[in-house]
Amino acid sequence: MEIRGYWRHMFQFRKMKFQREAVPEWPHKVKTLPGCENIFSCIQCGTCSGTCPLSIYMDFTPRRIMSLLREGFRKEALGSETIWLCASCYSCAVHCPQDIHITDVMYSLKREAIKENLYPKRFPIPVLAREFYEIVKRRGRSSEMWLVLRMAFRSNPFILLGMAKSGWALLRTGRLSFKSEGIRNPKDLQRELAVKREVA
Amino acid sequence: MEQHANTTNGHASVGVYICHCGTNIAGVVDVAAVSEYAATLPGVTVARDYKYMCSDPGQELIKQDIREHGLNRIVVAACSPHLHEKTFRTAAQAAGLNPYLVQMVNIREHDSWVHTDRAMATQKAKDLVRAAVRRVRLHLPLERKRVSIHPDVIVVGGGIAGIHAALTLADAGKHVYLIEREPTIGGHMAMFDKTFPTLDCAACILTPKMTAVKAHPNITLWTMSEVTQVDGYVGNFKVTVRHKPRYIIEDACIGCLECISACVFKEGRTPDEFNMGLGKRKPVYIPFPQAVPQLVVIDPDTCIEFKTGKCKKTCVEVCAERKAIDFQQKETVDTVEAGSIVMATGFQIFDAGRVPYYGYGAYPNVYTALEVERLVNASGPTGGEVVLRDGRKPQTVGVVHCVGSRDENTNRYCSRVCCMYSLKLAHLIKEHTGAEVYNCYIDMRTPGKAFEEFYCRIAEEGVNFIRGKVADIYPEEGGTGRLIMQVEDTLVNYIRKVPVDMVVLSVGLEARHDANDVRRRFNLSCTNEGFFLERHPKLAPVSTFTDGIFLAGCCQGPKDIPDTVAQAGAAAAECLSLIDRQFVEMEPNTAVVNEDECSACRTCVPMCPYSAIGVREDTKKAWVNEALCKGCGTCVAACPSGSIRQNLFEDEEILEEIEGVLA
Repeated sequence: MEIRGYWRHMFQFRKMKFQREAVPEWPHKVKTLPGCENIFSCIQCGTCSGTCPLSIYMDFTPRRIMSLLREGFRKEALGSETIWLCASCYSCAVHCPQDIHITDVMYSLKREAIKENLYPKRFPIPVLAREFYEIVKRRGRSSEMWLVLRMAFRSNPFILLGMAKSGWALLRTGRLSFKSEGIRNPKDLQRELAVKREVA
Repeated sequence: MEQHANTTNGHASVGVYICHCGTNIAGVVDVAAVSEYAATLPGVTVARDYKYMCSDPGQELIKQDIREHGLNRIVVAACSPHLHEKTFRTAAQAAGLNPYLVQMVNIREHDSWVHTDRAMATQKAKDLVRAAVRRVRLHLPLERKRVSIHPDVIVVGGGIAGIHAALTLADAGKHVYLIEREPTIGGHMAMFDKTFPTLDCAACILTPKMTAVKAHPNITLWTMSEVTQVDGYVGNFKVTVRHKPRYIIEDACIGCLECISACVFKEGRTPDEFNMGLGKRKPVYIPFPQAVPQLVVIDPDTCIEFKTGKCKKTCVEVCAERKAIDFQQKETVDTVEAGSIVMATGFQIFDAGRVPYYGYGAYPNVYTALEVERLVNASGPTGGEVVLRDGRKPQTVGVVHCVGSRDENTNRYCSRVCCMYSLKLAHLIKEHTGAEVYNCYIDMRTPGKAFEEFYCRIAEEGVNFIRGKVADIYPEEGGTGRLIMQVEDTLVNYIRKVPVDMVVLSVGLEARHDANDVRRRFNLSCTNEGFFLERHPKLAPVSTFTDGIFLAGCCQGPKDIPDTVAQAGAAAAECLSLIDRQFVEMEPNTAVVNEDECSACRTCVPMCPYSAIGVREDTKKAWVNEALCKGCGTCVAACPSGSIRQNLFEDEEILEEIEGVLA
């Protein structure tokens, strides 16, 4: 995002980074995650960003995420919109001359971002992921109406304005309802999920 | 030279020397204790320890003891045999003892440098010395064999590497056979327009060397020729060469080229190989005007006379005076002898069709760098005009670096020359067309002399540089005929879509497609990528593991012209070193067949990595060629009847050593 004029000094991101803002052990930890074995082989050629159909919408291109990742800029990498905009088309992984599984890296970073609670809080995509998980955990089934409402109110409520017409049509024809669906024993599901979290 | 009793006769008289190696060994191993222990071993006459055994006084100790005490076996416990085995063997020989009655024990790399516990390291040293003393008693006095060196040299490949090696050797007075597969020498360099970084005209610097080759009395130039069989060993190679028919009598043709104009084909129909398929040639042609030898050649696959036998043969009419055309010419075979061989078979370029997203072959205006070299060259298919397929001049050109290099999906390595020739082509294209040129690169690799200055020059001329590997090439919307290069410019941080009229793919260098067949014929090893393997990447870059065969040029790995010429000179020097020495001494640690026990089962024959063992027709027994045998021991171990033994590594010697260690 570019800010011009007077307000640039107020809101433009500082370009100087001090070494204390980087986390040197973090890239080594990420290297152990699935799919991230050879992140250190990246030669920064830019082929991934070049083929990525969504790179023009990202704040950091995939190549820059790889570089941030290797240098230990954890907050910036996990707080980026990039990893959430990834459409998993695998173009980057196929073209990469160092055979890095970039899509798998993106997935690992997504999991890290949610776990560390560093994801961009007002960005609809991670909010959707989180709300979906919460709804399913609570009741065992997804309720689309509530999913959309929760996602909108947690990120950007103005999305609802754009969706109002089709939303009303779905409600009217019975495709969406305010009823919350659920399984008989959600507690069993929650116990299962709790065990898995311990193991992880 | 007085020889002391070289056999034990039951009375071994062993001298044991423990080296301190300064503190390298003495710092961990108690050398005095080992020396005292050694003195107690059966058969040991003298046991000493000394600070630096490899020094002159250290060697003098050994020589003196041999003379005074009549020692007939020596054990030196010191560093690695790779370092000083030769030193101690030479010292023993100087005192009259056969050098192969010396055994070295490594108590440095195998003991003091890898252990920290002093007591255990000292015990290990004692064990190793005891084993060596037991072993050395069984050593036999072996003799080195001498093999004479034939003074002739064969150079395989007539590119700049082969040409330079041949000229160097010929100027030194040696007779050289230069064998080239194509109708002319010159190789890839003859196809280039200008060379980096000086922008010298390639043909202008190459053709004087080519004519020098033709004119040199010491060079036998064979073109249209291939090596079909290589027998023999260093100093005594017997090479069979097949000459393909040119259908022209070489002594009669004067290269006037009248036959080409007279040919019944009014214009060329066959894609011209020299012009990378961009032009057409007739069935009778000369690869390029300055070809050496200056002779035409007839292509039997496209000439009507060969297909139907009913051609008017206007070429023969026009050559009535010289009568140089002979459609009945047949293949001939020659066998020549030489002492050394230089391999200079060169490279091939990467097939850009293997990278489909760059559109080579799919979009007409995507070219490889070598095709553009021919376009830019004044004697090329367009007379030096850089034009698109439809004849238009390009207004924007994109140059894509690293095509088929630095990529797990194609070739891992960097092809070394592409950054430089991409800059050169950018300059030449700009000069010829005034177009806007965009070089898209990952790194700019310009290491050689005057290379960085060349890069600065090109940048100052206004060539655009985009740091990013081109991700995709596709046609521009709206039918403009242009192509879009999509690339992330990593330096300004934009994804750029650059519309260009012409795309030049900077393809990498690869080993030739038949490199594997060729190297097997010559008994050479090759790397994973197919390039011929050098003996040592740093210290022996022109030698191979086959004695007497040397490498020059891109067949060993991608490199530019200065490095190729340097390597060719180095290969020539190695040949000269062999020839002027006049003989080569072979190490005696070769395998030996016991003919009484051999049943010619042939288990050993395919095992030998050096093709040194075979079954002789006359004796019907296995036989080891001692000149080729490197003493690896594979056949010795493989023989089911145990009829092969190895000098210096006899079964008894090895077993004694094992028993000594375990005692």
